[in-house]
Amino acid sequence: MSFFKDQNCYLKNYNLSFKEKWMGFDWSFLFFIGLAVLVGLSVLYSIGDGHWAPLVTHQLACLAISLGAFFLVAFFNLRFFMKYAYVFYAIGLVLLVWVAFFGKGAMGAQRWINLGFMQLQPSEIMKVVLVMALARYFHGASLDQIRSIKFIVPPALMVLVPVLLILKQPDLGTALMLVFASCAIFFLVGVQIWKFILLGILSAAAAPIIWFSLHDYQKQRVLTFLNAEADPRGAGYHIAQSKITLGSGGFWGKGFMEGTQRRLSFIPEKHTDFIFTVFAEEFGWLGSIIVYGVYAIIIAYGFSIAMKCTNFFGKILTLGLTTNFALYLFINMAMIMGLMPVVGVPFPLMSYGGTAMLTLFIGFGLMECANINREMVIGRLGSIDDE
Amino acid sequence: MSVWKYEKAHVMIERTIMLMVMFFAVSLVLLGRLFYLQILQGDRFLSLAERNRTAVRFVMPERGHIFDRNGVILADNKKIFQAVLIKEQTPDYKKSIENFAKIIPLEEEEIESILNEAKYKRAFKPIQIKDNLTKEQIYQIHLNAPSLLGIQVEESLIRSYPQKDMVTHLVGYVSLLNEKDSHEKIKDELFDLPGYRIGRTGIEQSQEQLLEGKPGYTKTEINAMGRTVQQLEKVKPEAGQDLYLTIDQRLQEFSTKVFGKESGAAIVVDVRTGEVLAFVSVPTFDANLFLSRISSKKWSALLHNEKNPLQNKALTGLYSPGSIFKLVVALAGLEGKDISASAKVNCSGVTKLGKHLFHCWKKEGHGALTLRQALEHSCDVYFYEMAQKIGHEKILETAKKLGFGALVTNELQGEKIGLIPSEEWKKKRYKEEWRMGDTLNLSIGQGFLTATPLQLVRAVAEIANGGYPVDIHFIKKEVNFERGERMFEPYHLKLVQNGMFDVVNSATGTAYASRFDLNGMKMAGKTATTQVRRISLKEREEGVKKQKDLPWIYRDHALFAAYAPTDKPKYAVIVVVEHGGGGSSAAAPIASKILRHALTLDMENAKLKETGTGK
Repeated sequence: MSFFKDQNCYLKNYNLSFKEKWMGFDWSFLFFIGLAVLVGLSVLYSIGDGHWAPLVTHQLACLAISLGAFFLVAFFNLRFFMKYAYVFYAIGLVLLVWVAFFGKGAMGAQRWINLGFMQLQPSEIMKVVLVMALARYFHGASLDQIRSIKFIVPPALMVLVPVLLILKQPDLGTALMLVFASCAIFFLVGVQIWKFILLGILSAAAAPIIWFSLHDYQKQRVLTFLNAEADPRGAGYHIAQSKITLGSGGFWGKGFMEGTQRRLSFIPEKHTDFIFTVFAEEFGWLGSIIVYGVYAIIIAYGFSIAMKCTNFFGKILTLGLTTNFALYLFINMAMIMGLMPVVGVPFPLMSYGGTAMLTLFIGFGLMECANINREMVIGRLGSIDDE
Repeated sequence: MSVWKYEKAHVMIERTIMLMVMFFAVSLVLLGRLFYLQILQGDRFLSLAERNRTAVRFVMPERGHIFDRNGVILADNKKIFQAVLIKEQTPDYKKSIENFAKIIPLEEEEIESILNEAKYKRAFKPIQIKDNLTKEQIYQIHLNAPSLLGIQVEESLIRSYPQKDMVTHLVGYVSLLNEKDSHEKIKDELFDLPGYRIGRTGIEQSQEQLLEGKPGYTKTEINAMGRTVQQLEKVKPEAGQDLYLTIDQRLQEFSTKVFGKESGAAIVVDVRTGEVLAFVSVPTFDANLFLSRISSKKWSALLHNEKNPLQNKALTGLYSPGSIFKLVVALAGLEGKDISASAKVNCSGVTKLGKHLFHCWKKEGHGALTLRQALEHSCDVYFYEMAQKIGHEKILETAKKLGFGALVTNELQGEKIGLIPSEEWKKKRYKEEWRMGDTLNLSIGQGFLTATPLQLVRAVAEIANGGYPVDIHFIKKEVNFERGERMFEPYHLKLVQNGMFDVVNSATGTAYASRFDLNGMKMAGKTATTQVRRISLKEREEGVKKQKDLPWIYRDHALFAAYAPTDKPKYAVIVVVEHGGGGSSAAAPIASKILRHALTLDMENAKLKETGTGK
């Protein structure tokens, strides 16, 4: 149709040169990400009682690797990811299976593959490659296809298999994130809303079955969440102390390095999952909403990239990764404020830890890549034009 | 671009906007929750964080020591090690106690009382489990530390009574707090201290405020594990005040032991100053018994002993004064000019009042007697006759003047005031008018009137010292002694004193057997034998049964009130031997020994002073 042809006359039917990519690179996106990372580093510095080592230095090393990965991915050809999306997914799946048999355990959970220089967490990789695979799957699908049940069975299986593997580890937080992010993608590409309602009803009916398949400590966490105040010295300790830490910050906060709770090791996992409580204690509500604002801007960037992106692969990929990032934030916040059971989801960009940082930056790299290649034409199977 | 792309892109934009709205809504909820926690509940969480951060540990103050008049220690403190439980430091404190009992046996009652205490004490407050740990036990506790979560060994102070049972009824004892205490005084920070004890009886109870001292405390910053990060504040405890009592431990011990297995009381006072030199209630018990949780076996043995060791008979025992009251009647008669020194009354062995017969203790009668003789022989008929002349009002008035029916001291709690009957009292109690018969019974101290040994010894002291009021006290006073105003005519007192002299020193006196002459110092006194139950007419006709044939509990009380030396009275004494039989046979010998020992100690003190080896 000529109308659309005219509209899309600027579309790039060729691979971009490095110079074109460089020109299209959005530095402000990276700026806000950097801002959040800096806040995270300062909190780690505070937790380390004014010492750079080992928390801040290690985090900086991870950051360097992550930034490298970010640029590498961002300047890759978007079509490459489209083309090899299923391959990446397959690798992720193999690693998950691998970890189920040979993984290193921590606190009763099998999550890691020891690579020698770093701990590889396949479930983190899956967060990216699943989105990539789904983006590829839905890229060339028409709305009619998407609305047929037969068509959404394969992607549903693509979600279900890794989710079950991760639940088996067990890692409830990551499994939840995968489910939510995948649902978001299904929703975004146009799967009818009644199907989600049906899924909701079905899972509510299945809840008792799921409950009995949960590990004892997972059950305990849910129970604890439901009645945290009953036993503040027992299992509800984490939530109760987390709330005290947050709440005692007040409006202005206690000041940088002045938090009493973090200094006295009242907060469990204060450098990982509960890092935001330390920040909120020292910088109060004011500091918290400013930081939350930074995160909102990063999410908004994600949406804006998706809006501008002309190819569906880039759109879906960006939206999926943005949703992923937002889920990190939402689940972690809800968890530390006692709105949700403690499921072990880190605070994005701030929590100490290499794998989460690396996968987040690979995600941002992909989003940036989609941004640079927003006018790229991608065929149904990943070639330049195979319509 | 094909149509399907257009449609799909359109739907995606729609759905993306919906997702953004959802994200926005979630953000509002999260920031709202943050607002609730940080702003609305901020103050509450701030105080919780503050409490998290600091732990206040109180430090036990040393309780004031108690000494006798010469500095002999009566109540001391000693260092011990105790095991305490802090509930919040263990997920299952019951299990810890259970494990503890496996290492160091606890009686079931002990466990019960610990669990009971654990129920109402707050989780961060230590609870004493066992005190007086031996080295071996401490070693065992440390060895088994992993199974004894929440249990710690700490140093503490415990009261100790080196005189054991000798001064229990005066000094009293301290014991652990119970649930009732903490409801009364929950705010008192001393109650947070494990193993803190308060005075339950005697001086320990009445002088609690002086003895307890002020607790110190350390405020420390702690981390989640309860480990101290740094000390913020330290205030040293203030030791309680030391107290010096008026008693002489040597005399106290002698007076206690002289009772042998009898039950009763003895009090020695300085007739001039009112200082109490011995304050005995027997049988007594070891004051150290109640320091730790007492076993119910020991407790019930004390409780059900018919000689009632737990009762302080000197302070709370109520007795009819018997013939000792004749001194009061005589004084009332002399003061009211109803009796003269020379007037004689003929005792035939009985006084007839209407249809009723009032017998003298001597069936065959004493013949004609003066006051002095009447006192010497303790003739009942003389006083029956005189009492009719004097009337009960004057007798009771004199009794009141001598302190009957009123508290003697405020230095001990639980004192009984006894009873001074009156017309109104009798009407109220028995719905009857006061009769002359009542007056007659009163005149020989067998009526309604009752008194404590403490009241009796004060009355005797006031008779002995020439009629000056005696301020009975147990705690040494710094201020100079001030003599009050005379209450009676000296001549009248002299007449009564003469009677008392003869009781002991005349060959026909009722207590002649108990006389002594210590470098010219002699004793004067008055015997009393008081009926515990009425003697029935039948019994009287059959002849009074020998006291020894009666069950112990029905035997007469034996009393003896005395003072010495007779020429310059210094000490007054009262001895009560419960169900001891006759005053002259049971009580007088004891009183005599006590007074003699008091005077001997005085002489020893004087000698020490002279040779300069004394303090």
